[in-house]
Amino acid sequence: MSLTADNDTRVEEIIAARTKGRINRSILYGVVFLAVLWSLKTTVVDDTDWERMGSVWEVLASIGEFLKVDWALLPQLWQPALETILVATLGTLLGVLTCIPAIWFGALNISPFPPITYPIARLMMTLSRSIHEIVWALFFVASVGLGALAGVLAIAVRSIGFIAKMSAEAIEDLDPRPVEAIRAVGGSEFQVFLYAILPQVLPAMISVIIFEWEINIRRSSVLGLVGAGGLGLVFFRQLNTFNHGGVTAVIIAILVLILFGEIISYFTRKAMI
Amino acid sequence: MSISDTSPGTPRTWQRFKFPGSLYRYFGLLFALVFLAFSVVYLNIPLERFIGMFGRIGSVIADRYYPPDLEYIRDADYLSSVFDTIQMAYLGALFGMIIALPLGWFGSYNMSPNRRFIYPVARLFTMSARAVHETIWAILFVTILGFGMLAGILALTMFCIGFAGKLLAEEIEGIDMGPVEAIRATGAGELAVMVYGVFPQVRVAFTGIGIYTWDVAFRAATVVGFFGAGGMGWYLKRNVLQIETQRVAAILLSIVVLVLLSEAASAWARARVAKAK
Repeated sequence: MSLTADNDTRVEEIIAARTKGRINRSILYGVVFLAVLWSLKTTVVDDTDWERMGSVWEVLASIGEFLKVDWALLPQLWQPALETILVATLGTLLGVLTCIPAIWFGALNISPFPPITYPIARLMMTLSRSIHEIVWALFFVASVGLGALAGVLAIAVRSIGFIAKMSAEAIEDLDPRPVEAIRAVGGSEFQVFLYAILPQVLPAMISVIIFEWEINIRRSSVLGLVGAGGLGLVFFRQLNTFNHGGVTAVIIAILVLILFGEIISYFTRKAMI
Repeated sequence: MSISDTSPGTPRTWQRFKFPGSLYRYFGLLFALVFLAFSVVYLNIPLERFIGMFGRIGSVIADRYYPPDLEYIRDADYLSSVFDTIQMAYLGALFGMIIALPLGWFGSYNMSPNRRFIYPVARLFTMSARAVHETIWAILFVTILGFGMLAGILALTMFCIGFAGKLLAEEIEGIDMGPVEAIRATGAGELAVMVYGVFPQVRVAFTGIGIYTWDVAFRAATVVGFFGAGGMGWYLKRNVLQIETQRVAAILLSIVVLVLLSEAASAWARARVAKAK
């Protein structure tokens, strides 16, 4: 008898807790909804120049401008497209070279003096990831001049963060026994790295690098906007001459380029694994 | 005979790579070098500049960008633009997630309602949204809709669709099909299968992806203003054009700090969501 009474009170407690949870949750949803409405008011309603935008028909008409694709431009896009791919590739390679110290310092188990070197590596990764590629490109255009070199450097610096982070994590997870074995036969630190660490992390690193290369094509296609060559420059020129059909043609070229990159990375990764 | 065989003949040195493999390796290296030389020539990269480059970058930073003009980023106008940027990223991520949810469903091979038609269309849409860089989206929307944060929000929405759509689809593709089959066996429709069979499995992962999307959207939001789409990017562009390099340095510093804060917040929130599972 007492057992059922006990059960009843427990059931009531659970139901009460559930109702309370539901009320809390609906209050939370309400607050979020109001915050969204308020943000919409301040950002969209107040900040938009509705007169400039015009009616729906005018917006549709200006979208229509973009849909008249300027196919005649496509043959001229070979060279900038190749430039874009080369910038992405060189940038990724340079990024891999520059991120070696970041990987070495950033993996806790091989970091030479963790209290100092580990924060340095973390700082390098964070700086590289948190600053947008456009900003990096601006900085390098200002310091090494216009042209593809600035683009390559921007891509390289921007790639450090991701590659170093993933590779350092892979190194932290590696099997310590081969390392001990090479040490036990008297291998130097470099030999330990070459024969015990590298073979274990190479597959993971290569797949990260290919992935980053794919992203870098996407990035290098816009660096021309700030003066670093490639398809972005053509895009910028078409836009400034109000040839909106040409803008669409450049976007189509970028899409084709990305698709090409995805196909290559898919097959390379398949061949590696 | 057996004894003479074991006597040392010509001394053999240990090689890491045996004969045909080593040849392929040399050819690969040669090919890579030729490719490198070709691309350096094709891109007109002045190699002689590499030598003095790092010194020059250092001196550029020391002369022009240091010390950062910290007064400038404590200005009320700038702080309100930072707030605008946060709002933009929030709204962009929200709308992006709302649109990416059905796209993730349609674009996952195992759950798509129609593999012949809807699956490739959803995949293509997500891929194009991802392939076009967020700055290009910003420029397009600014050209069509005019300056302002609406263009920025739409650009971030497209960016988030591409980013989240792929992750959501991959998450749905990784689910356990058992519950799905059980609910299908009761005769439930596609939507009911999605709500009761799939959604409980991916709820936590989706929340994590949503938070991560906001984090990434914030990073992108710091520059969409560069092309006239509102937020702090506009301040960046103005000061870059006016060659106010010390203010640029201060703005960059504020971006790094904000991104670090948003990363920490997103990591904390994701850890909490994962724990609440």
